[in-house]
Amino acid sequence: MLKNYLMVALRNLLKHKLYSAINVTGLAVGLATCVLILLFVRNETSYDRFFTDNDRIYQVAFRAQLPGRQVDHFAASMLPLAAAMKEGLPEVEMTARVIQSNIVIKHGSESFTETARAADPDFFRIFDFPFLRGDRMTSLDEPNSIVLTESMARKYFKDQDALGQTLDIDGVGPVKVTGVIRDMPSNTHFNLEIIRPYAAVAQAMRAIESNWGAVCCETYVRLKPGSDGKALSDRMPAWFKATAPTLNSPTGNVVLGDIFTPRLRNLKDIHTDPVMTSMRPATSYAEIITFAAVAALVLTIASINFMNLATARATQRAREVSVRKVVGASRGQIIMQFIGESLLLTLIGLVLSIALVELALPAYSAFLDKDLSFNLFTDPLLGPALLGLALVVGVAGGAYPAFFLSSFNPARVLKGASSGVGGGSGRLRMALVVVQFAISISLMVATSVVYGQLLYAQNKNLGFEKENTLILQGFPRSTDRARQQTLVEALAKLDGVAAVSGSNSTPGDGSENNTNVRLPGANPDQMLVLRQGGVDWDFVKTLGLQLVAGREFDRNRPADQLPPLADPAQVPAGDTSARSYAGSVILNEAAVKRLGFSSNADAIGKQFEVGADDDGTNKLTIIGVVADFHFRSVHDPIPPSMMIIDRERFSDVLVRLKAGDVQKTLVEIERVWRDMFPNRPLSREFLDDRIQSQYVREAKISQMFAAFSGLAILIACLGLFGLASFTAERRTKEIGLRKVLGASVMDIVRLLVWQFSKPVLVANLIAWPIAWYCMDQWLNGFTFRIDLNPLLFVAAGGLALLIAWATVGLHAARVAQAKPVSALRYE
Amino acid sequence: MLKLVDLVKAYRTEEVETTALNSVNIHVRNGEFVAIMGPSGCGKSSLLNIVGMLDTPSSGEYWFNGEEVSKYGERKLADIRKKNIGFIFQSFNLIDELTVFENVELALLYHDIPARERKERVKAALEKVNIGHRESHLPQQLSGGQQQRVAIARAVVAKPKMLLADEPTGNLDSANGDEVMRMLTDLNAEGTTIVMVTHSMPHAQYATRIINLFDGQVVAENLRAA
Repeated sequence: MLKNYLMVALRNLLKHKLYSAINVTGLAVGLATCVLILLFVRNETSYDRFFTDNDRIYQVAFRAQLPGRQVDHFAASMLPLAAAMKEGLPEVEMTARVIQSNIVIKHGSESFTETARAADPDFFRIFDFPFLRGDRMTSLDEPNSIVLTESMARKYFKDQDALGQTLDIDGVGPVKVTGVIRDMPSNTHFNLEIIRPYAAVAQAMRAIESNWGAVCCETYVRLKPGSDGKALSDRMPAWFKATAPTLNSPTGNVVLGDIFTPRLRNLKDIHTDPVMTSMRPATSYAEIITFAAVAALVLTIASINFMNLATARATQRAREVSVRKVVGASRGQIIMQFIGESLLLTLIGLVLSIALVELALPAYSAFLDKDLSFNLFTDPLLGPALLGLALVVGVAGGAYPAFFLSSFNPARVLKGASSGVGGGSGRLRMALVVVQFAISISLMVATSVVYGQLLYAQNKNLGFEKENTLILQGFPRSTDRARQQTLVEALAKLDGVAAVSGSNSTPGDGSENNTNVRLPGANPDQMLVLRQGGVDWDFVKTLGLQLVAGREFDRNRPADQLPPLADPAQVPAGDTSARSYAGSVILNEAAVKRLGFSSNADAIGKQFEVGADDDGTNKLTIIGVVADFHFRSVHDPIPPSMMIIDRERFSDVLVRLKAGDVQKTLVEIERVWRDMFPNRPLSREFLDDRIQSQYVREAKISQMFAAFSGLAILIACLGLFGLASFTAERRTKEIGLRKVLGASVMDIVRLLVWQFSKPVLVANLIAWPIAWYCMDQWLNGFTFRIDLNPLLFVAAGGLALLIAWATVGLHAARVAQAKPVSALRYE
Repeated sequence: MLKLVDLVKAYRTEEVETTALNSVNIHVRNGEFVAIMGPSGCGKSSLLNIVGMLDTPSSGEYWFNGEEVSKYGERKLADIRKKNIGFIFQSFNLIDELTVFENVELALLYHDIPARERKERVKAALEKVNIGHRESHLPQQLSGGQQQRVAIARAVVAKPKMLLADEPTGNLDSANGDEVMRMLTDLNAEGTTIVMVTHSMPHAQYATRIINLFDGQVVAENLRAA
């Protein structure tokens, strides 16, 4: 029996090549799309699961509610937190802090700036990274040890064994390689290359080692076996409030527990919990679910093709079904036969889809920058998963045609040519086409909105000039303000340089430094928080900020320059005057609003207190207001900010280049830097590149979304083409008669094209409100967003209609041009 | 073999009810060859569909081999049909995708018969209708007469007790029509009960009894000498 079913199925496939090709191609492309998306989803949901104790490893994350600021979420914490947790929370077994500390490695005649991390010794006891060389448990025990990834080891030691070798770190001296670990796989939130013991940076961290207000490191904890992480996380806010000290600020007491709300994030959830972090960018469940939904929708479209073509062709199988019934087949047997055929077709599609996935995977992996694997022989779950997928699609696509075909009345079918098929199946086919195009139009709209938002983010006026602005970094630790000033002056003299300034933070660097301020006469509890930036002269000009009131800092006005801060260690206890300062400040418009001034001009000349005594002697005078500008991604709100002239040193130099021979100027800048810091590599980056890099992941996700949406539309069109050719075939006699009665080719084309325009038009009515709601919800997640333009929806609908016309029209034209006599002879 | 008592078949559309069979009483004994005649629309095919259990009556009784089957469901009817009844159609109704052999074999596939026996029986059935030499051909490669012979082989291969033929010669020329009728007569002589619907008086003469239908009612029965 099975042989008979298989034989009939295969001969049918071969006999009706167009339908078979459409079905198999649609299923293959649909399954391949689905598999590629699911590989991405599997990778995204597998982050950090390879660590043995992942169930009991957590990272501390915070929700911060700074006065006058929107709620912020981040994964960084304070240095004293880890020790306090271990001491005060019995569930905590081990803790490890990780802090970024860039280093310069001297290697032969060259020096390299590297992004390193300093971690507590328990780091490698908590995380069982695969060690290729060295002992994981003791690798960070010595202060002068260093652990490298295999790529880093190869960079410095080529093919030699790196273990036991030394590296010369600028300002530190020789350190010994105590371990070599595998490069980070793509499915971990860590982006480590070089790991040093925390002891190596302890001296530099001394000032904030016990500061509960300085958020600067990631804190990981491993709980004792059997501990309830969720319960502990719930207890954390109260524990934190009781443990973290109240900071006694001159502008009022700061209860840290009121500002910071800690929680524990399980290791497995870190990648899907998008908060600000110094590690790899996270995704969100919403994004993963969206892609999984696209996979399901693509498969739905492919299954609908199968259902439509199978039921459309039902008349051709009616006689077979009836004869089978007459010779004794039960309805159940007929149903099984057709579901079996559907499965066969799906399996052929699956084989082709595996080939498509194999072909696309290298480029796809490279595009996503992930090591996605697809190997049926080494992945025991993959084969059963693919078969399961084919089974679901085969049964879902085949069930309705099977029930439909098995319902034929053999008496009617065998007596005449009638299939006993009512008009109902035709209406259902059109309803399914409506569903396909509703999905396609929704995906088109979604893709356009996602792209629109991305372009908006990339091209939004950031409030500063990002073009031709260079950021220089990499000052030796010993550099003082005077040497920096010399460098700035030397750079300013270069022909290709328009302006130079310095700063402690530059747009897109992710840094955050806040300070408490208070308006004169306000109560201590009326504290406000402003983002503080320490800058150099000409900062407004160099960054191209737009001055909307007042003036920029003027190096010729002594009051604009803050006096140097005294070393706290040298200040006698109780002497607050040495820590006092007064000077000038430039605000952004958000700060003007936050401080309650009626206008930008109104703020000029006004004063407020910063870190001042209760008598209000230390005041900053507002000398200028700049238009709001984005220091972070445009997805984040603009915080109220202030700028002061920094009194110590700055970390970055900003250089505005003149348009023209930029390459020549870059060479000259290198030369100036080398003259001043011969052993220090210059780290330079164009500001627009840095800004652009903030959107790399979003751009990729958008492109991926567009590609998969395109495939969905392609599959829908394949189905439409099949259905159109079937309809034309079925209506051959009618077309012949119409031509005999005087219809032109255009009349016939219009007739057929209109038949398929109706479902597309109806699909718009379904797709538009759904797409509008979903995309509006999505856009609401952004602080700065585009508005939904109704024209976009009309355009998507129009494009779908054009695609449908192109698909159906060519076929209709061919049918319409046939001689009517051949049509009339048809039956 | 079969007995129809006050059998009624009415078709109802949204507005009209049409009575195809109106209080029909027919009794066919084992081994009989009955021809049913009548003008188009008189209810011949409706009668044959009910007799063949492809359709159920609106009211009345249908006794088949001593069993009242008129109220049986599709599954039960399919089972009785499979074991007892063979069909021959005017338009042959062979499956285009299957060869001659496979078309005939199809009738045995739903009977749990081992492959070897199936093969033997199919070959025997094809030989019986003199088409064994074309067993690997597809239906469209055969003439109408040859196709109908294949259809007869398919109808008899499962050794049904009763054969229903719906205008079996309607699509054939006279020579092929006569050939088919001779085959049916032979089958009847071997003990198969045959009920045949036909428009052709000469072919009806092959039957042992002719039943005339008009407007859904039996209007005459002519018993012929065997």
